Amino acid sequence: MQNEKDLLICPRCFMLHKKRSLAKQDEARCQRCGKVLMRSVNALEWRVLAFSISGIVFLLLALLFPLVDIDLGGIRSSLNMVDAIMKLWENGELFIALFAFLVLILFPLLFVGSLLMVSIAMIFKRKRLARDLLIFATTLSHWSMLDIFFVSILVALVKIYEYAQIRFDSAFIALALFILIEIYLSKYIRLEWYWERWEQL
Amino acid sequence: MSYIRCNFCGATNLRSRKRCRRCGMGVEIKAKKSLQTAFAFLIAAVIFYIPANIYPILETTKFGKRQASTIVEGVIAMYQAGDYPVAFIIFVASILIPFVKIAALFYIIFSLWHNRCKRLEQKVWLYHLIELTGPWSLIDVFVVVILVALIHFKNIAIIPGIGATSFALMVVLTMLSALAIDVRILGERCER
Ligand SMILES: [Zn+2]
Repeated sequence: MQNEKDLLICPRCFMLHKKRSLAKQDEARCQRCGKVLMRSVNALEWRVLAFSISGIVFLLLALLFPLVDIDLGGIRSSLNMVDAIMKLWENGELFIALFAFLVLILFPLLFVGSLLMVSIAMIFKRKRLARDLLIFATTLSHWSMLDIFFVSILVALVKIYEYAQIRFDSAFIALALFILIEIYLSKYIRLEWYWERWEQL
Repeated sequence: MSYIRCNFCGATNLRSRKRCRRCGMGVEIKAKKSLQTAFAFLIAAVIFYIPANIYPILETTKFGKRQASTIVEGVIAMYQAGDYPVAFIIFVASILIPFVKIAALFYIIFSLWHNRCKRLEQKVWLYHLIELTGPWSLIDVFVVVILVALIHFKNIAIIPGIGATSFALMVVLTMLSALAIDVRILGERCER
């Protein structure tokens, strides 16, 4: 009988594999379906620390400043996420306002924030704390939807570009950078591999 | 197999374990409970699918005249205006994906319930596709949120319709349904 810790089951085809040690920038794929099962990420904690701090900064910029300005036949307005959600709330669209607040502001902040805390807890080898934070982050990982919101901005602008002059603000770029960082932190490095790293602490 | 994968953290566990050795979550497969929960969420999603398509997702009041458009009308309007790429995106995200998603969830839940092991790989692939594309249906809801924030004329008021709320609820319910399905049931019963 082998030790559980040395084994890996493919999430896609359920084939059982024995873990192997990876060289730098190496990947291990499933023998049957080819899904990436392991990826070596050098100094994972420190990378996550650096990326999550910059992620939070970019997200705060994207939340606090207008993303785009438009000029619709002389009437100017700008898109600010917090204002947009407040406006929905005031208009009585309680469900959509609450939902948008959760998946566009609260969950993204908590998700990247908890990954930041995970990296700190792992650097200081606080295993118990890191585990609780990882459980929190794993639960939240499905419910951050700023990438979808970003595409929605582009779709909305296409709907009005004939009538309006559009100017992108720098917060729009901050939002794009946040999304790239979030993809790096949760898709390129899969949450499973944080757990693997945690196990080796 | 004498090992089982933890759905939450991905750890490999001995089958005899009740809780994951790594994250502490329950690791046993509860097929019946998983499928019943998924089915309940799916039925709720179907119920909201109807108002999501019948009621307007966006209502505009121009000089006191009310104009409302449903999702389908929105796609047709974009197509007629010649915005083919956007019409296509909205069509795929708001009409095609939700419909295919609901149909696929019914198919997966049904075939897991009856232990059908045919086309196992396709089913797992379909499941992961649903999980990945599901939330993208929300594009239409967010577009409404953005338009409401951007457009405020004196004489024109834009408000999200009942359709938008129902649509958002429908998408969230299908996501919950997909999350409730334990894909390991496929691997479990059919591997042998
Ligand atoms: Zn686990």
